[in-house]
Amino acid sequence: MKAKGRLVSCGRHAVRAAIVPLLVALVCDAAINARAEGPAVAPQEQALLAVLRSETPESEKAITCKRLAIQGSPAAVGDLAALLANERLASWARIALEAIPGPEADAALRKAAETLSGRLLVGTINSIGVRRDTAAVGLLEGRLADGDADVAVAAAAALGSIGTPEAAAILVRSLAAGSPDREAVALASVVAAERLLAAGRRDEALAAFDAVWRADVSEQRRAEAARGAILARGEAGIPLLVELVKAPSKRLFNMGLSTARELGAGTGRDAGLAEKVDLALLGAIAAGSSAATGAGRAALVIDVLADRNAGGAGKAVQAALVDAASAGPAANRLAAIRGLGRVGDAAVVPRLLVFAAEPEPTVAAAAIDAVVVLPGAAVDREITSRLATADAKALPALIGLVGRRRIPAVAEIVPLAGHGDAAVRQAAIRALGATVDAGQLDVLVRLAANPRDDAEADVATAALAEAAVRMADRDACAGKIAAAIDAGSPRKNALLAIVGEVGGPRALAAVAAAARSGDPALADVATRLLGKWMTPDAADVLLALATSDAAGSYRGRTLKGYIRIARQFVMPEAERAAMCRKALAAAGDAADRKAVIEILVRYPHAETLAVAKEAVAAPGIEAEAKAAVAAIEAKLAGAAKP
Amino acid sequence: MAAPRARTRRAFLRTGLAAGSLAGAPMVIPSSALGLDGAVPPSERIRVAGIGIGRRGEYDLGCFLQQPDVQFVAVCDVKEGRRSAVKGIVDKHHGTADCRTYRDFRELLDQKDVDAVLIATGPNWHGLMAMLAAKAGKDIYCEKPCTKNIAESLILRDTMRRCGTVFQAGTQRRNLPHYAFACELARTGRLGRVQRVFAHPGGMRAETSGWLAEEPAPDPAAADWDMYLGPAAWRPFHAQTLADGFNFEKGGGLVGGGVLEWGSHCVDLCQWAVNDGPPPVDYAPPVDGQLVCRYANGAELIFREKDWIPLGSCPVRFEGETGWVEAGDSGKLVLSSPELMAGRKVEEIGGYPATFHVRDFLDCCRTRGKPKGNADAACNAHIACHAANVALFLGRPVRLDTETWRFVNDAEAGRLRSESLREPWRLGS
Repeated sequence: MKAKGRLVSCGRHAVRAAIVPLLVALVCDAAINARAEGPAVAPQEQALLAVLRSETPESEKAITCKRLAIQGSPAAVGDLAALLANERLASWARIALEAIPGPEADAALRKAAETLSGRLLVGTINSIGVRRDTAAVGLLEGRLADGDADVAVAAAAALGSIGTPEAAAILVRSLAAGSPDREAVALASVVAAERLLAAGRRDEALAAFDAVWRADVSEQRRAEAARGAILARGEAGIPLLVELVKAPSKRLFNMGLSTARELGAGTGRDAGLAEKVDLALLGAIAAGSSAATGAGRAALVIDVLADRNAGGAGKAVQAALVDAASAGPAANRLAAIRGLGRVGDAAVVPRLLVFAAEPEPTVAAAAIDAVVVLPGAAVDREITSRLATADAKALPALIGLVGRRRIPAVAEIVPLAGHGDAAVRQAAIRALGATVDAGQLDVLVRLAANPRDDAEADVATAALAEAAVRMADRDACAGKIAAAIDAGSPRKNALLAIVGEVGGPRALAAVAAAARSGDPALADVATRLLGKWMTPDAADVLLALATSDAAGSYRGRTLKGYIRIARQFVMPEAERAAMCRKALAAAGDAADRKAVIEILVRYPHAETLAVAKEAVAAPGIEAEAKAAVAAIEAKLAGAAKP
Repeated sequence: MAAPRARTRRAFLRTGLAAGSLAGAPMVIPSSALGLDGAVPPSERIRVAGIGIGRRGEYDLGCFLQQPDVQFVAVCDVKEGRRSAVKGIVDKHHGTADCRTYRDFRELLDQKDVDAVLIATGPNWHGLMAMLAAKAGKDIYCEKPCTKNIAESLILRDTMRRCGTVFQAGTQRRNLPHYAFACELARTGRLGRVQRVFAHPGGMRAETSGWLAEEPAPDPAAADWDMYLGPAAWRPFHAQTLADGFNFEKGGGLVGGGVLEWGSHCVDLCQWAVNDGPPPVDYAPPVDGQLVCRYANGAELIFREKDWIPLGSCPVRFEGETGWVEAGDSGKLVLSSPELMAGRKVEEIGGYPATFHVRDFLDCCRTRGKPKGNADAACNAHIACHAANVALFLGRPVRLDTETWRFVNDAEAGRLRSESLREPWRLGS
C-alpha cells in the first residue's frame, strides 16, 4: 500500500510527508503530555505500539518510531528492539531507543549487539556510545578485536564516548598493544580523556592524552592529544606547548598556535598562567627568528601574542613587541606593529610614530593603523602634544591621526589649514571634516566656499560633505551652506551637491531655489538632486518645475523625478492616485505616461483604477491604459476573494 | 591461519589508487602558475575542495575562486551531473583540467593535498561532514544551518576545538560593515544596557522530512542515494527528496526547520550584539507572532516575522536603554539618533555577499586565528535556534541550563535535544 502524501506548506518550501492518522497530532498537538514513568502505559503510547505490531506500511512505522522518541517509555523498548535487525527500520528504531531513558533500552541494545553484524551492529554500538552505557564496556572491549574493522572502530568510539576510567584504560591498552585500528583508538582515547578531565579525573585524563601523544599514530591524533595534555596540565603544559610551536611539522605548529590561544586566555583567565605562557611564546619568537622554522612562523606567534593580550599587555610583552617591530624580517615587524595596536597604550605611540615616518609604505601604513586603534585619551594627548612642534614632513601623518581618531582638536588644526605646505593644509582640512561639530562648521564652509586652489577645493568639498551629513540639525547645516551659495561662492555647484546630501526641509528649499535660479549649471545640479530626493516632500517642487515655463530642458527630468516619488514612497493611495493624475496631465511624451500607468498597476486600488480608466483617453497610451484597467480589476477581484 | 579481517572500503583506498584521483598533466601552464600578473604562486595557495556544491555552493565557490590565494583542487557530489558541472567551472577558472572529482567525500578527505573544504551539501550533512573533515585535518567553511540539534552543536564545537580546526559557518553577515557596526553599538554600550535583540526567523513552523513512496533508484554512479541519505534515517529513493537538498532534514528530528532558516543568520548577529555569551535560558512558544527568549541577565531575544523597517531580508534590531539600531540585507542602517554614527562612515553593502566572509576564513587558515563565524559562536547561535524550535514544537515554555546544556526538569524537552544517526554514521569520533 502506497503511503499517502500531503503537502506541508512552510513558507517558500513545501515538504511532502507521509500521512498517518497520528501524524496529525504530530504537527498540531500543542499539548503533548509529559511522559509518566510509572508502570501504566499511556493510551497514546499504546496506540503507537499497536502500529508497530500491525501490518501497516513501513513508512507509518518509521514515523511512529519518531513519535515514540518523545512518548515512548520502557514499555516500548521490546517492540523497538525487534526492529534493530530490520535494515529499513533500524535507524528509525534507534531514534527512539536513544531517547527513552532507563536500563531497559540499554539492555536491549546490549542484547542486540550480541547477535547483529555489519552495519546494523555498528549502528547499535553507536547508540550504546550515545547512551554512555557503562555496563557495555566489557562487551565493547570484546568488539575491539572484531573481524569487521568498522565494528571495531565503532566499539572504540563508543568506549571513548562512555569515557569512564575503565573505558579509557581499555583504549590505552589497545593502543599500546598495536591495535590495527589505532587511529580510531587514538581518537577515542582523546575523547575519553576529555570526558575524564571534565569529570575532574585529571591524572587519568593525562595518562590517556600522553599515551596518544607518544603513540605511533598520525600527527593529527598526536596534535589533538598534545592540546589536551597542555590544557589539562596548565602551567606544567607550557614546555609541550613550546615544543609544538617549535616543531618543524606544520600540523603540530598549527596546533601549537591554536592551543596557545586557549591556554590561560579568555574570560576568567588566570593572570599568572597567562603571563608565563606569554613569556614562553616570546622565547619561541626569539628562537624562531633565527631557527630553521623561519621568520614567517615568528610572525604567526606574534599574532597569537596579540590575540592573547588584546586590550592591554604586560610590560614584557609590550617591550618584546616593540623590539620585534623595530628590526628584523619584514613579516615579523609588520605582525609586531599590528600587535602593538591591539595590546599597546600611549607609551608605544612615540615608537609607532617613528615607524610611521619610515620610507617603506607598508611599515608606515601599519604603524599609522596601529596608532588609530590604540585606546584611550592619553594616546590622543600624545598626538596633539606634538602638533605645535612637528615639522612639515611629520605634520600630515599627525594631523591624519587627529582625523582618524576623531580627536576634538579643532583649535589646533584650524591654523594648520593655512600652513605654507600644501600637504599640511590638505591634511588639516581633512581632519576638520572628521572632527568639527555644528558650532565649528563655519570654518569648513569658508574653506569649501573659497578654496585656495583646485586641489584644495576638492579636499575641502569632501571634508565639508563628511561633516555635514553627521550634523544633528540638518536645517541649520543646510542653511549655512546655502548662505555661502547665495553669497556667490565660486564652488556653488559643489556646495549645492552637499546640501542635497544633507537633506531636510531647508535643504529642499535651497535646492528648489537653485533649480529656479536661472543659472544653467546650478539648475543642472539642482534638478539632478531633486530627481533622487529621498523624501516625498520634493514632489510639489518637482511638479512645479516640470510645469513651469522656465523648465526648459529639465522638464523631462523633473517630471521623471515626480513620477519616481509616486512609485517609490509609502503614501495614502488617494494621494498616489492624485499624483498620477497630475503626472499624466503634465507628461509630454508617451514614455512618461506609460511609466505612470505602471505605477497604477503596481498599486491596485479603487483610486488608481479610476485614474487608469481616465487614462484610456490620454494620447498614445490607450492600449496600455486598457490593459492596466484589466490588470487592476483582476487584482482587486483576487484580493476580494475569501 | 587466521582469516583476513573484513576490509572496509576505506582500508582498500589507503593501499590502492582512489577512483577519480588520477589527474592528467595540464596541457598549458597558465601565467598564474608562474606568479606573474600579481598572482600568488601555486605553492603558496590554500588548496580548497568542495563538497555538495549546488546552487548556493556555486555562489560560495565563486567567492573562493575570486581569491588570488586559492587553488580549487577537487569536488565531491553524490550526483554525477553536479560533479561534472563544478569541475567545469573550476577548470575554466584555473585554465587547467586538474580538478579531481569524487563521489564519496571520505575519499576526498583522504587527500593530503587538500587544506580546506567548502561544505554546501544541504543541512542533512553539514554538521557531521564538518566533524569528519576536522578529524581529517582540514579547515572548514560550512554552509548554514550547521547543526540539527543542541547535542550536535556542542559536539561540533568540541570537535573543532580538539582538532585545532579553522571553522567558518556560512553566516557571512558578521563580515559586513553595517551589521558589524550595529552589533558594535550594542556591544560597546552605545545603546545603553541592551534590553532586547530581535531576529527574523524566516518562518516559525516545525516540520519533519517524511518517507515518500518508493521509486526506482538510479545507478549510484549517477546519484548515490545511500550517500545522499547519509545520517538521515533510512527511506526509499524518491526523486523529489533527492532534489530538495536545501530542506531535507533541515534541523532534523521532529523540530526541523522552524526558526533556523533565517534564525541561524539573525540570531548569530544578535548573539554578537550581546557579546557572544551563552544563549538564552528561557524560551516560550509564539504569542501574537513573537517567540520570546530570555537571557540569564534578563535581556530578551525575540523572534518576530512582522513590524520590521523595510531594510531587506534577515533584519535584526537591537534596543538598549538609550537607543536602538535596525539593519538588514539592503546594507542600510536605521538608528534612533544620528549621533550614534559619531561621524563614522559605514559602508553600505547590500545583498549579503560572502566574499568578505570567505576572505576572513582564508586569512585565519594562515594565522590559525578564529574567523568571525567560528564554531563557538555558531554553536551558541544554533543552540538558541534549536531551543526555540523545541518550545515551538512542544507549544510550551522550556528552560535551558547553559552550563549543563540540559533542559531544566523537563524530560520531554530533553528527548528533543539530540537524534540518532543512521548507521554507520556517528558524531564526535
